[in-house]
Amino acid sequence: MIESALIILSQAVAALLVSPFIVGLIRKVKARLQCRRGAGVLQPYYDLLKLFRKDVVVSTNTSWIFTATPYILFASTLTASLLVPIFLSKVPINFAGDVIAVVYLLALGTFFLILAGLDAGSAFGGMGSSREAIVASLTEPAMILSIFAVGLTAGSTNLSTIVHKTALLQDIVTDPPPHLMAFVALFIVTLAETGRVPVDNPATHLELTMIHEAMVLEYSGRYLALVEWASALKLLLFLTLLSNIFAPWGIATEAEPSWMALGVLVWLAKVSGLAVVIGVIESMFAKLRLFRVTDLLGVAFILSLLAVVFFYILRV
Amino acid sequence: MGLALIVLIAAPLVAGLSSLGVRTRRSMEGLQCAHAVVLLAAMSVVVMNVAEGSVITVGILLRADALSAFMDLMLAFVGATGLLYALGYMGEEVIRGHVLHRRYKRFFCLFNLYLFAMLLAANVDNIAMMWIAIEGSTLSAALLIGFEKTKAALEAGWKYIILSFVGIALALFGTVLVYYASEHVLGVSMEALRWEELYRVASDLNPTALKLAFVFVLIGYGTKAGVAPMHTWLPDAHGEAPTPVSAMLSGLMLNLALYAVLRFKSIVDRTVGVDFTGPILLVLGLLSITIAAIFLLVQRDYKRLFAYSSIEHVGIALVGFGVGGPIGIFGGLFHMLNHALAKSTAFYAAGMVLLRRGHKAIERVTGLVRQMPLVGGSMMLATLALAGMPPFGLFVSEVLIATEAYGQRPWVAYVFLCLLAVAFATLLYQVSRMAMGEPVEEDIPVTDRTRRFTTSALVANLAAMGYAGTHMPGFLRDLFIPMTRFFGVIVEIP
Amino acid sequence: MGAIHPDIASQMVDLCAALLLLTCFAIIAQRRLSACVDLFALQSAFLAVTAALVAFLTGIHHIYIAALLTVIIKVIVIPRILKKVIERLNVTRELVLNVNIPPSLLICGALVILAFYITQPIISLGFLLTKDSLAIALAIVLIGFFTMIARKKAVTQVVGFLVMENGLFLGATAAAYGMPLIVELGVFFDVLVAGLIIGIFTHRLQDTFDSVDTSKLTELKE
Repeated sequence: MIESALIILSQAVAALLVSPFIVGLIRKVKARLQCRRGAGVLQPYYDLLKLFRKDVVVSTNTSWIFTATPYILFASTLTASLLVPIFLSKVPINFAGDVIAVVYLLALGTFFLILAGLDAGSAFGGMGSSREAIVASLTEPAMILSIFAVGLTAGSTNLSTIVHKTALLQDIVTDPPPHLMAFVALFIVTLAETGRVPVDNPATHLELTMIHEAMVLEYSGRYLALVEWASALKLLLFLTLLSNIFAPWGIATEAEPSWMALGVLVWLAKVSGLAVVIGVIESMFAKLRLFRVTDLLGVAFILSLLAVVFFYILRV
Repeated sequence: MGLALIVLIAAPLVAGLSSLGVRTRRSMEGLQCAHAVVLLAAMSVVVMNVAEGSVITVGILLRADALSAFMDLMLAFVGATGLLYALGYMGEEVIRGHVLHRRYKRFFCLFNLYLFAMLLAANVDNIAMMWIAIEGSTLSAALLIGFEKTKAALEAGWKYIILSFVGIALALFGTVLVYYASEHVLGVSMEALRWEELYRVASDLNPTALKLAFVFVLIGYGTKAGVAPMHTWLPDAHGEAPTPVSAMLSGLMLNLALYAVLRFKSIVDRTVGVDFTGPILLVLGLLSITIAAIFLLVQRDYKRLFAYSSIEHVGIALVGFGVGGPIGIFGGLFHMLNHALAKSTAFYAAGMVLLRRGHKAIERVTGLVRQMPLVGGSMMLATLALAGMPPFGLFVSEVLIATEAYGQRPWVAYVFLCLLAVAFATLLYQVSRMAMGEPVEEDIPVTDRTRRFTTSALVANLAAMGYAGTHMPGFLRDLFIPMTRFFGVIVEIP
Repeated sequence: MGAIHPDIASQMVDLCAALLLLTCFAIIAQRRLSACVDLFALQSAFLAVTAALVAFLTGIHHIYIAALLTVIIKVIVIPRILKKVIERLNVTRELVLNVNIPPSLLICGALVILAFYITQPIISLGFLLTKDSLAIALAIVLIGFFTMIARKKAVTQVVGFLVMENGLFLGATAAAYGMPLIVELGVFFDVLVAGLIIGIFTHRLQDTFDSVDTSKLTELKE
């Protein structure tokens, strides 16, 4: 009992502590590729600390949704990240939810964020919300299907089961083509959901190009800190999904401290690697125009659909 | 004997490469005439030897059995007359200033390479090498079709390229599938690609793989043969290419593609029985004839008219092969030979009309027989042959095919004859409009030198057409009997 | 070859084949012509890796030569020619497609399923090393064919044709263990010449029609 509680706590702490680092790492990579020195990798931590100390400015036109959303967003994202195996394959609260729960917890956060963007009544917020709604509705099927594709091979939609079985290579069917397709699909979904180039530029504040930034434009102080932390957490969650579902080797399969420590290190290495890749991709590509984003997400959807279909065809 | 085969295949290659270094038209004419003579001589040796019953082989690469020798006969003869005609036609274009000498050389180089590729494809003992050779002929034909740099020619060339390349790729897939199947029996080696070995182990090959392979091969090589519905490149290509090229395409390329399909059919028939390939070929054949008959009605360009007629005749040959049986197979093969002769004659005549009238519109051409007796007369005779009139050979083959079809499924014979009647009427109507009557337009004169070549080509073709229709020379009969045996039927020809 | 478990070997080849299929989808989803050509070069590189893998695992050494030729001709030479054509033609992207991207993606997915369905009966014939490769090869051929139909610009049609050839090479190598060397050489030569001829024609098309939009080739009708 105590052990499970400790594991849950350490998982939450790990996720919270590492997520700003990942954001900082991506920014550093982009800066280096642009031949600048860039801010330090730890800069996001300082930004969060600064934001927590500042005053909050809230528009008088907003309702309770505006002030509640940062907390809801933060809480749902944190809960979702507790369901995802980070350094231990069988997370203690995995009985509480599987991949569908994760997807819809994240969707809950996104939903409230969309509402909050509309709440302040500003043009930017409304615009950002409508764009975010388009992207979210297109990424949802792709995300579910791609995890399903892997889940089919493991025989369950429970993330812990999937990761545990894949890590031990027991009882599962291995097939490169569907896994590869599901990986690419989930990667594209990651870029879309976390607001990275080529779907959305996280560093811009131009009206023409904002999606996520537009929704959070009205926030300040601790609200902004929570929202930013939540989006960093979401990024970390996706990267963890990518690395631990498709290549979980190195993860601890039993709750032994030494294995778990190793698991943490391996996980850090994997998500950092993926963060570097994202940084490189962000530097290589230009942001897509909004109606071209549907093409990209269409590719992701088709790939994940094919991955699922392949599973059945290859069994024939 | 092997030497004759090598000479037959190598001659066009040598001639093609040498024609790049030729300085004057006179020396080119000499080169190509010598080339034609060598072709005919080598072909006669090969055909005579094979007719006596032997199969000529050169190592594991070349193999001339009855079917190959039959193709050699067609290729060499029509190729030789085609060379003569091309000398005359292109010479005239050079004199008129339409074609520079540099391009004249290139034309003949490509023309010769085209013949080389076709001869190689007919005689090689390797399904993949056959593919490579046919692809080679496609490439040279593509450059030849787009030779005149007009908009229409480019469009025709582009359509040809796209459709042919796709077809060829599908045919390669079919070839790979056959190799896939034969590897299991013959091992991973060159042996698994040889026709001879494939014939030997045909019954051991996997039926499903071969059925699938045949479908791909039929679509692929069928595109090259002008089988509907993959025929859309054909009218454009024939219409816009220089006329000697149109003659070669209709007379030789289509038959070569049919040869490739036939080779695969003979293997597949031994593995899965006749009932698989027969109906498919029958349906496609009837479809081709239907489409050709419909479009013949609306043609206003006489080269396109003859092109659609080619589609019709390819359809007839396919019906013959699809119906099967000794008479059907013989009918189809005989049809291929006679069509090659008649169609090339028609195109030679058409080319002369183009040179002397300067346009390709049917309604503006009249009085050919009066103005240019030989050209008009030969066009009329060729059209009569193509329409299926006796005493030409096409009549014989069509009757035989109809008879065999009637014996198996009467409705096929009825449809077949109806369609042929439509095509007969249309073709005769259109061409007699051109040939008969009073000449209205001015005649653009053609030099004597040109006339010498084109006339000799026309006369040679006409003679062969008449001869093949009325007689069955001994060597031809001796070729037909083993050929039909390929398809599992024995035939006695009186 | 004995050092690697046959199951893993087959999976490695499958992985490479899957990468090839992925690049096919990427090509179909592209509008920029130079991106299509780059993706084709990437696909050919994957193809060469697949061929080298097959050569390593089966010990048939002449497949190495085929892999090397693939790299030289399809990764370096032909993409260069195509890039030059694109430069000279000054076209960069397809604005109007015959079939838009989302439907064409769906159709490609359907083609993949179709290819698997068609080759099911004969996959069992295959050598133990490569089960799905024949199906993926046919899928790539069909997708390449579809690319030729779905696009208007001549350059993209050419890329579609070359993708078909890649699929054929995959089929011949992975499923049939590669044809004898002389045959492979002949096929390569043919593909190279075909590429050159298409380059020539595209050039002439541009000169004569002032565009390489093949929907403008409408003079010859019936």
